[in-house]
Amino acid sequence: MPSLRELQTRFGTALAEGTDERIAIYRNTVFANYRTALGATYRVVQQLVGVPFFNAAVDAYALAFPSTGGDLNVYGDRFGEFLAAYPHARQLTYLPDVATLEWAVDDANRAADADGSPDEILAALTNIPADEVAAQCFALDPSCRFVTSPFPVLRIWQVHQPTFAGDISVRFETGTDWLLVHREAGAVVIERLTSGDFALLRALHQGDDLATARGAAIAAEATFDLGTTLGQVIANRTLTQLLAG
Amino acid sequence: MNRPLPSAAGIGLRAPHVAQVIAERPPVPWFEIHSENYFADGGPALAALDRIRADYPLSLHGVGLSLGSTDPLDLAHLAKLARLADRVDPACISEHLSWSSVNGRHFNDLLPLPYTNEALDHVCARVDRVQDYLGRQILVENVSSYFAFPESTMAEGAFVAAVAARTGCKLLVDINNIYVNARNHGIDAEAYLTGIPRAAVAEIHLAGFDTQGPCLIDTHGAPVAPEVWTLYEHALQRFGPVPTLIEWDTDIPEFAVLRREAATAEALLEAVHAVAA
Repeated sequence: MPSLRELQTRFGTALAEGTDERIAIYRNTVFANYRTALGATYRVVQQLVGVPFFNAAVDAYALAFPSTGGDLNVYGDRFGEFLAAYPHARQLTYLPDVATLEWAVDDANRAADADGSPDEILAALTNIPADEVAAQCFALDPSCRFVTSPFPVLRIWQVHQPTFAGDISVRFETGTDWLLVHREAGAVVIERLTSGDFALLRALHQGDDLATARGAAIAAEATFDLGTTLGQVIANRTLTQLLAG
Repeated sequence: MNRPLPSAAGIGLRAPHVAQVIAERPPVPWFEIHSENYFADGGPALAALDRIRADYPLSLHGVGLSLGSTDPLDLAHLAKLARLADRVDPACISEHLSWSSVNGRHFNDLLPLPYTNEALDHVCARVDRVQDYLGRQILVENVSSYFAFPESTMAEGAFVAAVAARTGCKLLVDINNIYVNARNHGIDAEAYLTGIPRAAVAEIHLAGFDTQGPCLIDTHGAPVAPEVWTLYEHALQRFGPVPTLIEWDTDIPEFAVLRREAATAEALLEAVHAVAA
């Protein structure tokens, strides 16, 4: 009698590549589950390429990046990375970045709720000697995700939303998108940032102190002004806490 | 506060209906959700669940724990389930008598077990571990299947009953799955039910199937079939009134359609209540 492990290994192999008609029913269900799950996350990608192309891409993704967990909601995390190397999508140069943006939206929806408040940060900052402010680190709203693309991915995303009305044309010469995806009052929003603000916030998000983050921001945008941006990102709750040094 | 599931017809709550349920607060006796859909760290889905939980008894139904797998139990997955249970204090937590992963690869489907002594020992040990971890009794559900292992040495119904007897877990009896398996594998559905220990049955599931060639497929994408309603009546006569759930997962219709299916189940439940009174 083969062991349970042997029987499951054999079944898994037959599911992936066998000819048994009964086990093929499972294969169909498994792939249909992946198409449904990724279709719920990547609605814009699906509209851009059409359902047959999308389904074929998901099937190929399932082979290239086999699922390793029991929660289908987070299985599509590498679809953008997959699309960047998918030969059939090579001409759709913007597609991987659209997928990355859609994943950021999905992921931001699942992030922890923010705590802290502008008043608390401002109060904490006033207690710090002026010469130590540059060495401070900050916590960001846990829903913050950073996406940048040489393509106008925000515009592409916007014109494919079900509620969008009006001119759907997209101009590809508009330049780089620097995007902050986060939740505001319970719903995900996508904000277009300047390159300097983007660099500052992404550096702070990585755990850099304020001086290092400011350096990154000035490198990205020579006219960057820390005081203006810092006031805004505290007031709009992007920064939620001053971290203990 | 933890409220037990009433012996009434609840509805499997799916994302397209959440806003409507919060806005209209329909008189549904209880809801069940798929646990994994609320594994988030925070955000609007969990906030909506909190609101629903304030008004209705709630059951958590897992589809991804892979109880029957010989891969190690996924403790991160289990920790998320425990975190969700702490948050919503559900009336019950259920999982499937199936497996999903082997050698680290997940198929994200409810795959069938061979009904052998080794599989029984393995599943019982895993149910024990999950119950110990969660600090509570769980329910386990019989699954539909399209493949029967020739290596099986006992009937599916005997396997299901033995898991309950050995672990002290409760049973979630899916009537549609028994009907589907009876048709697919030539099992006697009524004999299957007769072998299920009445005291272990804590919940019943009802759903629709599709037909593909000679095989019935448990798609949860259609109304409950007439033959399944008949088998449900038979089950109620044997088990008495049991909390019953209408499930619909593909081609999800308007919420009113689910309410009508639940009303049909409710009428049958009330008939059994009347006899029991």
